[in-house]
Amino acid sequence: MKCEEIRSYFMAYLDGEIEHQKKLEIEKHLSECESCRKEYQSFAKLKEVTDKMKLADLSDQLWAGYWKGIYRRIERGAGWIFLSIGAIILLSLGVYQFFKEFFTDPNISLIVKVGVSTLSLGIIILLVSIIRERLFLFKTERYREVEK
Amino acid sequence: MNKFKTEVYINKRKVMDEDQELIIQSKKGKMKAFQKLVEKYKKPAFFIALGLVGNRDDAYDLSQEAFIRVYTSMREFDPRYKFFSWFYAILSNLCKNHLRKMEVRKNYIKSGMVNAEMNHLKQRTLSPDVLVEKNEINLRLWEEISKLPYEFKEIIVLKHFQGLSYKKISEMLNIPLGTVMSRLYYARKKLKENLKDILN
Repeated sequence: MKCEEIRSYFMAYLDGEIEHQKKLEIEKHLSECESCRKEYQSFAKLKEVTDKMKLADLSDQLWAGYWKGIYRRIERGAGWIFLSIGAIILLSLGVYQFFKEFFTDPNISLIVKVGVSTLSLGIIILLVSIIRERLFLFKTERYREVEK
Repeated sequence: MNKFKTEVYINKRKVMDEDQELIIQSKKGKMKAFQKLVEKYKKPAFFIALGLVGNRDDAYDLSQEAFIRVYTSMREFDPRYKFFSWFYAILSNLCKNHLRKMEVRKNYIKSGMVNAEMNHLKQRTLSPDVLVEKNEINLRLWEEISKLPYEFKEIIVLKHFQGLSYKKISEMLNIPLGTVMSRLYYARKKLKENLKDILN
């Protein structure tokens, strides 16, 4: 085998993931070719120091709280979903009841009803416009994920 | 099939069956089953995240977040596939996004940069506290690993910190064995070049 081909098997040879026959061919080549031998030795040295480097474990206390942290976050997520759904239902019902009573009340003059209607319509248009703008900015804002 | 191969096969089936069973139970809303799944994989999840993001607090949060995403998207999981490969894809995406955010943040504060801000950010992506031995070689190696492009860093983390076989890595990353070898080759070559002064 040529040097280039031999080098393509260096990783498998280094990590012991090579067939026996290939292993013998590489060993034979390394004993004959100084350039490949040097290259291989530098990879072997790197593997040696990388294998020696160990990452520190967490304390038992942190491991003990690991599941509790996940459970709490799942629980809170579910809590927020129910709370939001409930709030939307109640708010919609309240708004509906208010307008129903307001528009059917004979004591309120037509001009007040027209004024409230246009005011409400204006607020709705402004709200929709702001929400749409915020959504557009959120999609295109480059630094949206940067903590400020 | 010889005795050794049979045992390996039986053990593999056992792991798969156990995970599948826990997932099926979790899908039914049984938190005890999901807790077992978390307890089983929390350590590899944390150490993979730690190798990728380089900071203990972030790795802790991100690995927990990955489990939460697993729980909320459990219905999408096909039990014919390996749980940890699916989990790894979720965790890796979270880590990748986190590193991207850190990079954007770094660029954002670069112009009006104060040393303290930059040091804090460096600590968040490259904390030497996570090393058992803080000698010169380890500190340099840790720094160089953190500078590698994501796909190279990931392969070093899976091979060296998790001790996974090429086959397992290829399954987790969904890439051919040849690609595992070539990524490992280029990752190590890059590290070797950058650490020339201390390796010789």
